[in-house]
Amino acid sequence: MIKLTVNGQPYEVRVEPEWTLYYLIHDRLGLIGSKQFCDRGACGSCTVIMDGRPILSCMALAIECDGANIETVEGIARASHPLIESYARHHAMQCGYCTPGFIVAAKALLDKNPHPTEEQVKEALAGNLCRCGTYPQHSKAVLEAAEKLLGG
Amino acid sequence: MEEMFDNLRADKYPLKEYNYIGRRGPRRIDGFQKASGNAVYTMDVQLPGMLHMRFLTSPYPHAAIKNMDTSKAESFPGVRAILRYDDPELPPIADLGGHVPSAEVVLPGIAHFQGEEVGAAVAADTEAVAEEALKLVEVEWEERPFVLDPEEALKPDAPLAHPELLPNGNHYNAGLLDVLELGDISQGFAEADKVIEFRSERRLHTWIGPERPCGVFRWNGDCPEVWVKQQRPHIAKRVISSWFGGVPMNKIKMHCLYQGASFGGWSQTPWNMAGHYCAAVLAKRTGRPVKWTFTRREDFYGGEMDEGVYYYKVGAKNDGTITAVQGRAVLANQIWPVFHFLKHLVENTRIPNIHGQLFVVKTNKGPTVPVRCEQNANAHSLTLIFDHVADAFGLDPIEVALKNDGADGHDMDWLNERKAERGFEVRDSLRECVEKGKAAIGWYNRWHPPGKKRLPNGRMHGLAFTWDHEWDDSAGSSEMAIRIERNDGTATILGMGSDVGVDAENSYCQIAADELGMRLDDVYYNPQADPGFFRMTPDSSTNMSVNGFAIRHAARILKRKILEAAASPRGKTQRGSFPPAFPDAGPEDLDIKDSVIYLKADPSKKMTMAEFVGPSGVAGPLVSHENLGVRSNFSVPLFAFGYHVQTGTYAPQHLRPRFCRQAHFMEVEVDTETGLIEVTRVVNVNDVGKVINRASCEGQQYGGSYMGVGRGRSEEVVYDPVTGIMLNGNLLDYKMATMLDVGPIDTLLVETGMGYGPYGVIGIGEDIATVMPALLGPAVYNALGIWIDDFPITPDKVLKALSKV
Ligand code: FES
Ligand code: FES
Repeated sequence: MIKLTVNGQPYEVRVEPEWTLYYLIHDRLGLIGSKQFCDRGACGSCTVIMDGRPILSCMALAIECDGANIETVEGIARASHPLIESYARHHAMQCGYCTPGFIVAAKALLDKNPHPTEEQVKEALAGNLCRCGTYPQHSKAVLEAAEKLLGG
Repeated sequence: MEEMFDNLRADKYPLKEYNYIGRRGPRRIDGFQKASGNAVYTMDVQLPGMLHMRFLTSPYPHAAIKNMDTSKAESFPGVRAILRYDDPELPPIADLGGHVPSAEVVLPGIAHFQGEEVGAAVAADTEAVAEEALKLVEVEWEERPFVLDPEEALKPDAPLAHPELLPNGNHYNAGLLDVLELGDISQGFAEADKVIEFRSERRLHTWIGPERPCGVFRWNGDCPEVWVKQQRPHIAKRVISSWFGGVPMNKIKMHCLYQGASFGGWSQTPWNMAGHYCAAVLAKRTGRPVKWTFTRREDFYGGEMDEGVYYYKVGAKNDGTITAVQGRAVLANQIWPVFHFLKHLVENTRIPNIHGQLFVVKTNKGPTVPVRCEQNANAHSLTLIFDHVADAFGLDPIEVALKNDGADGHDMDWLNERKAERGFEVRDSLRECVEKGKAAIGWYNRWHPPGKKRLPNGRMHGLAFTWDHEWDDSAGSSEMAIRIERNDGTATILGMGSDVGVDAENSYCQIAADELGMRLDDVYYNPQADPGFFRMTPDSSTNMSVNGFAIRHAARILKRKILEAAASPRGKTQRGSFPPAFPDAGPEDLDIKDSVIYLKADPSKKMTMAEFVGPSGVAGPLVSHENLGVRSNFSVPLFAFGYHVQTGTYAPQHLRPRFCRQAHFMEVEVDTETGLIEVTRVVNVNDVGKVINRASCEGQQYGGSYMGVGRGRSEEVVYDPVTGIMLNGNLLDYKMATMLDVGPIDTLLVETGMGYGPYGVIGIGEDIATVMPALLGPAVYNALGIWIDDFPITPDKVLKALSKV
């Protein structure tokens, strides 16, 4: 039995030792915004924020997340974070499967560094793979969201 | 509707004014859903009581099951059912997908590549349980000899890769396009000032959709309800209807949710519905919905159709005019060996003498199908031939391209005559693209002789160019409909396809809005519902050029209906009719703008679409007010459908010459110490005929560039030659491009209107990812002065080439 908070909601769940955090969030809690693409820590599409740090939920065991505070794309969207709007506006997506992972990684960056340079955005998102090749649009969307957050 | 089949000529029916078509900025209807994580994909589907199914896969590249014991797996806790290859309920063969009805073994007992799904499918409470249970399946295998290398497979004494299909040898072209011949090759070589010869190689690369292949099958009584990850849902429905002695189409309920990309690939293999078949049987047996999934690794088997070796002999004059091309290629495993490797030379050059001999062979790897391209082998040849010629004669590759531009061995005058004859403007698409691209990349001051420019950072600098035509041409058909909703007068587009990410749905809305005179916000399209109309999904370079016509026909017919209805009595009941919305006017006196119907002669006489249809929606079908002494308004349902059939250049008669060209430029830096190639800049110039959705065109340009660079530089599925086992079926070891792998990409669009689609559009989705990979060859050559014609060009090949010098 572990306790964790996901997007501000407390949960108490009985987990099997082999469950990944991804499995818990996606299959058990029904938060489908976390996506599984590579299934082995190579693509970033399953990224969530755990206690302020972006982590790969496919590589974390659920059992190790006792007491953790988790933020997923659903929480980011519910808080009307400007990233959501700017991603849609800049077409920073095609099939969209990898998109939530990018947004979570970008949110983690903006939390730490509200005023990133384009280089810093690219660096922060370089661990996320997109087979559709949407890459050039991401920095535009993230920089615009950063500006909005700063009241620009 | 006379325009319906007239897609062999220029579009005679453009609009006078475009409000949404071509404009930057219209909203993206899937944008919020996808960004917020709300978009549901087939992988996300969970149903009450749902079971998870996984396949047993072959550990050997070629082997037959002699005996199989599933008893331990069956008694494993959490396992609900196991389907075996020798199950009496499985038919020997069934239609399992592909373009045309196929006859495939549903669950084979013989594997022809390592990793092939064979023998058993396990349905269990969770994926993990299914996987555990599969480990308990005991199989006695009969190992068979195998062959992986295409040239080896061609040898007469080679092991048979697929003896059931090809008992006499691995070579199979099915008589299609094995020899391509134009003019007189020996005369062409006699006319040449110089003849060059070279060989190139392309290793296997593959699709990798982010969402794994998967699906869900549920029986509601005898009605199948199916969730498909499928580029072409209409194929899934056709296929399912042929199973179990026949399932009526109207009993099949399809869900085609958002697709985690597709790129053709898996969706097109004539086996891709086998998972559904097995799930259907197990769902029936267990009375529960069954979801099947492939593992990430299982998605790696298969690939693109250009794996093989290519030999070229090219004759040209000193001014760059190519007089003859002779080629020979051995390619592996094409599912449909219908694409030659020299066809693009015929389609868009004036080279008068061509001879190409193609051998397609079976090897013990997965099937290969078109992947974000249908002509990789052709683009590969065209780029290498042109750039090798430019190099051998000391010419600018752009000049060589322009000099040889044409079609079917004819020069530009001939091609211009064809343009005029078909009603197109006579413009030189290649030259227009080239000029824009040259300016963007700074060709004039940056291009240099090969191997001659070292940068301050110590790396060698390379600049390269290639070109090709645009595509729009696979056969395809589409049906789409639009209905005006009661009450609020909004328009709903009906049609089922699949949203693979190209934002096609928004483009249809743009066309419908412009054609109907409605506000874009009033037009919506949910492709995930199955209204029975099947549109062409964006594939085979055929989206707008087919669906664009279908939606435009529907919109034009619907607009006529709306205006007729506005000018005539609004429906009749037993007690009489209602006066027209616009009395004393005919439909021709009316028009619609911004979702408002108005009298052309006096625009102050107007009515919004909502006001027009509103009253008819109040009572719905009950019309109960009539009983209370108040009559409800009623109007005819406002609904129209359109359809379109595409005839393209695949037609043997070669119906339509290609007019639109594209130009691509690449700048690289090569580190001679490490062999690393950095792609520092890409410029794509595409003549798309007419832009419908600007962001979507640009998205294809940068998306194609990343995939193209990945294919050219790092993407290769590696097999162990000794065991025949795939070594890198995961995203750590198979290297696709990341955000940092390509420098800035310029996305330039040219609009000549010379496409055969509506408004003169032509496809953009595939050609960039297709043309780019081979462009890395000339770019690296320009940097080093050494040709590396073995793709992908990995650092080890660069170092090896350098150490030879
Ligand atoms: S699915 Fe977790 S990193 Fe790729
Ligand atoms: S948008 Fe398709 S994988 Fe990124």
